[in-house]
Amino acid sequence: MSVNNSIQPPQWPLKLLRTFVKDEYLEEIEGDMEELFLINAEEKSLSRARWIYTVEMVKLLRPVLLKNFSSSPTFNQYAMFKNYFKIAWRNLIKKTAYSAINIFGLALGIACCLLIFLYVQHELSYDNYHENGHRIYRVTHGWKESEEKGAKSPYPHWVWGNAPIGPALKNEFPEVEKVVQFSGRADILLTYEDKMYQEEGIFFMDSTVFDVFSWTLVKGNPKTALAEPFSIVLTESTARKYFGDEDPIGKTFKSTGSAGRGNAGDYTVTGVMREVPANSHFRFDVLVSMNTFRKSVPQVFDAWGYVDFYTYFLVNEKFDEASFRKKFPDFAERVNQDKHYVVDIEPLKDMYLRTTADRQPGETGSLSNIYVFSIVGLFILAIAIINFMNLSTARSMERGKEVGVRKSIGADRSSLISQFLGESFVIVFFSVIVALILAYIALPYMVNFTGKELSIGSVLNWQGVSTFVAAMIVIGLIAGSYPAFVLSGFNPVLILKGIKRSHTGGANLRRALVVFQFTLSIALIAGTIIVYFQMNFVLDKDLGFDREQMVVLDYNYDGSVTEKSEVLKAEMERNPNVISVAFSRSVPGSYYPHAYTEIENPEGKVEGKGQPIFQVGLDFVDHFGMELIAGRSYSRKYPTDSARALIVNEAAAKQYGYSNPADIVGKKFSQWGREGEVIGVVRDFNFTSLHRDIEPLTLPFQAYASRYATVKIKPENVTETIAALEKVWKQVVPQRPFLYSFLDDTFNRQYKADFIFRRLFTTFSCLAIFIACLGLLGLATYTAEQRTKEIGIRKVLGADVKSIIGLLSRDFIVLVLISIAIATPVAWYAMTRWLEGFAYRMDISPWSFVLAGASAVFIALLTISYQSVKAALVNPVSSLRSE
Amino acid sequence: MKKTKLGEFEELVLLTVASLQSEAYGVEIKRELESRLKERLSVGSIQSALKRMEEKGFLTSEFGEATQKRGGKRKRIYTTTSYAHKVLNEMKEIRAGLWNSIPALSHELKLI
Repeated sequence: MSVNNSIQPPQWPLKLLRTFVKDEYLEEIEGDMEELFLINAEEKSLSRARWIYTVEMVKLLRPVLLKNFSSSPTFNQYAMFKNYFKIAWRNLIKKTAYSAINIFGLALGIACCLLIFLYVQHELSYDNYHENGHRIYRVTHGWKESEEKGAKSPYPHWVWGNAPIGPALKNEFPEVEKVVQFSGRADILLTYEDKMYQEEGIFFMDSTVFDVFSWTLVKGNPKTALAEPFSIVLTESTARKYFGDEDPIGKTFKSTGSAGRGNAGDYTVTGVMREVPANSHFRFDVLVSMNTFRKSVPQVFDAWGYVDFYTYFLVNEKFDEASFRKKFPDFAERVNQDKHYVVDIEPLKDMYLRTTADRQPGETGSLSNIYVFSIVGLFILAIAIINFMNLSTARSMERGKEVGVRKSIGADRSSLISQFLGESFVIVFFSVIVALILAYIALPYMVNFTGKELSIGSVLNWQGVSTFVAAMIVIGLIAGSYPAFVLSGFNPVLILKGIKRSHTGGANLRRALVVFQFTLSIALIAGTIIVYFQMNFVLDKDLGFDREQMVVLDYNYDGSVTEKSEVLKAEMERNPNVISVAFSRSVPGSYYPHAYTEIENPEGKVEGKGQPIFQVGLDFVDHFGMELIAGRSYSRKYPTDSARALIVNEAAAKQYGYSNPADIVGKKFSQWGREGEVIGVVRDFNFTSLHRDIEPLTLPFQAYASRYATVKIKPENVTETIAALEKVWKQVVPQRPFLYSFLDDTFNRQYKADFIFRRLFTTFSCLAIFIACLGLLGLATYTAEQRTKEIGIRKVLGADVKSIIGLLSRDFIVLVLISIAIATPVAWYAMTRWLEGFAYRMDISPWSFVLAGASAVFIALLTISYQSVKAALVNPVSSLRSE
Repeated sequence: MKKTKLGEFEELVLLTVASLQSEAYGVEIKRELESRLKERLSVGSIQSALKRMEEKGFLTSEFGEATQKRGGKRKRIYTTTSYAHKVLNEMKEIRAGLWNSIPALSHELKLI
């Protein structure tokens, strides 16, 4: 026995044998083979025996011994299937145009769906890679009007909040396992030897980060990497940028620090981590230890009113979300004196798509976009499937004889159904191949469109593939079922006698389907037109300030630059192409803080309210071309302006109860430790995207808190002007890199998601109408063919080309008109909902729908005209000759 | 004779089965025939000859004992039918007759 166990013949030839040789022979032959193998193994060698065994096995595959695949009782069915495939193939070849329309249309539909599926999949995959993902939560902070306990905040919560909440959470709740806090997104200038970059989007991060989030540290100790002050962790690509192939651990950067967060000094690299995956709700290239912040600005860590921290926490298994939420108001009241303060929590899975909070650490996605795209994808697929159904039923009369013959020979209905379903599967199969090729070609464009790192690889797992296969089967069934049932239901006697079954029912269904297709297409076109108009409206709207020809220079609060601001301004303004230069902490479209401001109200009482704040330099108002509607601007003539004056916008005046903005001028204010009088009111300007209303805003004059220098230039010779600006910059402040951007670009970047939406919407609606027209073309061709004789007779009787074209087009145009009638209210409703996302929106003009309808009619006419003209021009002699 | 043709190789296998008697199973037949023919034969060729002849009615078979050497699988012992004997005898006679006629033939051939 032991010998037998060690000497074993190879297994796969045996499997081969078992697959192909008749079962009744197996025992004998297997036995013989094993006996021979053992003899050979003894007499020769094991490897030799194995070789002989394998060769013999292969030689055993002889006709006499093989299972009889061809002469089994299933023979007839096999031949039948062969015939089905042959007929399917012949039909494909014979009607190349129909087949091409079917295959290409379906392929386009499937490819669109596939790409949209990739996009949706990517959006849904955000943050899924965290191993402890289901246990990660974050705190959101709110402010309520009433002091009543348990009241909700009327405004959106902020994710960004104070620092002491972190330690308090950890102390008060045993179910909170780890707390990780990090600062707001900061910029920091890092210098290593001759390499100097401004790193954007860094975070000051607690050392617990690697316990909570599943990010891998390639070098360094995850427990201690972010423990020491002034330690820094880089991602692999950032490390490569500075150090090439050198080991970055222990190297030090010189840095000017980050204003209000980290002092200038030497920052030591203590770790290198993998890139943060693209599907993370916030990303970064550099982490600096939170202790750097703690050491540089220790006082803010106890201040409940100081906002600069994100608080995430990891809970243990005992955690219960509902009861935790219940305990939260009490907790907030216990730890914080401010009775207006409310907190809430948000689980990780909601952070990207479902969050309602403001001031996010990174980008957020849009659940409604996902819905819109999924629906558009399904629409396109539906249109393609309808093409298939329409063409198949339209051609049913041609196949009628075939059905009749098959039925008389003895085919039952189910076998006919399976035949036609099979044919649709063949077409779906070809379409899938074409679709995969199309999707592969289009993927780079899609990546470009969406700016998301999509790849086919991400769905190439068994779930993805099986979903895909299942979807294909469903498509085949849907597309094939109607034709299969109609065709298989023909009465063979009538068909073969030549009595054509009245098929008005089929024709009505075809019409209904065409209407459905065009309704979808027209709705999509109208949607596209409205999206286009709205985006143009947004981009062209007068925002209340000059945004053209504005170069924004970012120096990140660098004090050494602010000190030289007067010199910089003077030097730059010497250039004839520069109109003016101004300094400010915020520019429209960029970050701005919020402040608590007390201003006398009309009744003479001091009232405190919160609102956004733009800390600006002396000339900000003039420089940006804002309109003063009351009072005056800051001026060198009033030296007290730098400490005792405030300009507000119209909305702020209203916020404090002044219906006439001029009345607020001269009232007392107190804000962030400064007191004085309101000196001017500017007309409301859109300092953030047009998705939002204009909020109240104060614009205190605070020259020393600036981050940006804005240069208004003349439209001519922009490149040279910028080169000249850079030269001045390098002379005056060589320690800072010259980073410039254009204000309109930066401002419009707020509409990134809207641009993606517009592009995708446009592309897919074009595809939808294209596929619908393919179908229409097929139907028109078919109808023209069917009516050849009728046209011939009409011509003989004196009809002219024009009336025949009219005859052939009328039917379809009526259908398109019905579609317009249905599509208009649907599109109007859907687009009104979309526009509600904008605080500033255009009115939907009826012309959008007229335009959409007219273009649909035009495209449809164009499509069928080719066929109808061709049919109308045929010499009646040739079309009537055959009878 | 017309109905059933017996190939040359099949005839050899059939004779071997007849001579081996109760020992006539795949491996043994192969060994016997290889030693007599002095050439290697494949299991496949022998098996297909056996199966064909069984179909034609020259052979019957039944399962024999299983040995450990065969991994617990039973042998199939083949036995010749009386019909096979009749055919083999006929073949032998035809051949013998032909052999007997050879000298005459060769004589005539020499004349040419």
